[in-house]
Amino acid sequence: MGATIAEKILARAAGRERVRAGEEIKARPDFVIAYDFPGYTDVIFRQMKEDFGIDKVIDPERFALFIDHMVPAVTPQEEELHQVTRDWGAEQGVPVYERKGIGHQVAAELGYATPGAFVVHFDGHISQLGTYGALAIGVRRHLLEAFVKERIQIKVPQTTRVDLTGRLRPGVMARDVFHHIVRVLGPSACRFQVLEIGGEALQHISLEGRQTITCLAMFTGAITAIINPDEASLDYALPRARIALDPVSSDPDADYAAVHEIDLSDLEPIVVIPPSPANTRNLSDVAGTEVQVGYLGSCASGRVEDLRMAAEVLRGRQVKPGFQLHVVPTSQEIMRQAAEEGLITDLIASGAFVTSSSCDYCFGRMGVMSAGQRAVSTGTLNVRGRMGSPDSEIFIVNAAAVAASAIEGKIADPRPYL
Amino acid sequence: MPLDNLCGRAAFLFEEIDFDVDQIVGVKNIKLKDPDELAQVAMQGYDPDFAAKVQPGDLLIGNENFGYGHPHYPPMIAMRRLGISGVIAESFSPGYWRGEIAMGFPQVACPGILGLVSRWDELEVDWAQGEVRNHTTGKALPFEPLSDGDRTMLENGGLIGYLHARDEETAE
Repeated sequence: MGATIAEKILARAAGRERVRAGEEIKARPDFVIAYDFPGYTDVIFRQMKEDFGIDKVIDPERFALFIDHMVPAVTPQEEELHQVTRDWGAEQGVPVYERKGIGHQVAAELGYATPGAFVVHFDGHISQLGTYGALAIGVRRHLLEAFVKERIQIKVPQTTRVDLTGRLRPGVMARDVFHHIVRVLGPSACRFQVLEIGGEALQHISLEGRQTITCLAMFTGAITAIINPDEASLDYALPRARIALDPVSSDPDADYAAVHEIDLSDLEPIVVIPPSPANTRNLSDVAGTEVQVGYLGSCASGRVEDLRMAAEVLRGRQVKPGFQLHVVPTSQEIMRQAAEEGLITDLIASGAFVTSSSCDYCFGRMGVMSAGQRAVSTGTLNVRGRMGSPDSEIFIVNAAAVAASAIEGKIADPRPYL
Repeated sequence: MPLDNLCGRAAFLFEEIDFDVDQIVGVKNIKLKDPDELAQVAMQGYDPDFAAKVQPGDLLIGNENFGYGHPHYPPMIAMRRLGISGVIAESFSPGYWRGEIAMGFPQVACPGILGLVSRWDELEVDWAQGEVRNHTTGKALPFEPLSDGDRTMLENGGLIGYLHARDEETAE
């Protein structure tokens, strides 16, 4: 019986020839990543010293910190937290990346998505580095373990394989693909497992789109998602890889907990109905529902192809008066490219409010809604109160549908605009 | 140190699949930090007299994929302050599981538990036997064994104790 890519990565990280799902091992993360957030990084920095008497992390070049939440700061306390992070990074020799965009995306741009690498973060959306054949797991407060021990204890996860087939129709995007996977498999199908995405349809899904899909793995119950490296992902990831590792892939006879095939040929734009990320429906079911806010951004969506689609929908048209359309490119690099392509100009001309990259629109720190308001959003999540009042609602849709809905002030199918 | 058995009543049955624990305190209270304040607002949407009824050691019962969504810590901080000693569910969402085990808060995955238990039944989680016993009905069900890492974490009261226990490892 062969091995999955996840087993191969963990075997190497554990210094073992072979590990199998279910074994408990101690593995050395190649990269330890975090963004600064109260209750996480500040606590970890303090616990490291006060509870464990550790002054320096082992091999600081493995660590990376991002300042992407609370950017820009709106209270002195937030700025103090950022300063603690900057000071800690300087003291430890750990790089602190600030105002470059959402860390999960910037990590890929900076080469932390090294194919074959084992990566930990406290936040589960780091799973998107799996696009490039890295195994990136969000471990919540267990991240402390990676700061005080060289190796962390982990149970080798089983893997569920999903093969995607067929071609997406115009106006249907990677965002729809992910939520369709949740609709087909259910929100707990991959609990405690790795979601391995493959199949011929991937050839037609961009690296950006793959990041959208792998970013959201947690909503299938998975602890991460991964894609076996192909020419496209290696072309992106190898030249910027931070460490020299051999890329690995699942063996053809790898042992999977389950294998599913999902055909994308007939997929339509979807909507995820509040208040649960498990409620995937066809967008047409709720088309016409009045919405007042649109958010195009987040670590899941907000990349160049999302902005291209939104610009295509909006070009020569206007956002409905009174509708708030927030466009927040996922990174500054993405914003630069979008500007070069003229997309930012198009979006502004149509009435979009375009701002620099930040996580803050996604978790209800900026652009918040009052009671009774509704948003169409490409944010990560639609639970109550995520973007403001607990009595506001979030409908998750693809980027093109956010743009179409902004024109109509109602949840709208983007396809007539394309 | 071996884990003490959990003994208490089934204080509440959350029958909703994919239950989002943030609902226990309500999203509007999710930024509260004080355990006493959290305990006061907990369960208002489910049983406003919950705090008065619950006794130290009582347990919560959940359905499949308990803890789905973006779980936060305050709901279970509130529950621990009210005396809840652990959660038994059909199955758990991994992010929630990992977070609460790291807090040293026992979580027990026991397929079939909702069929075994009615509210206020007297329960015992027997770690050595690997079963949940319902003393009210005399019935029992096996639960899924904890991983070594999770058991060590609970035995040491959570992440900090667990990492100190690892300090004693000879070969890293």
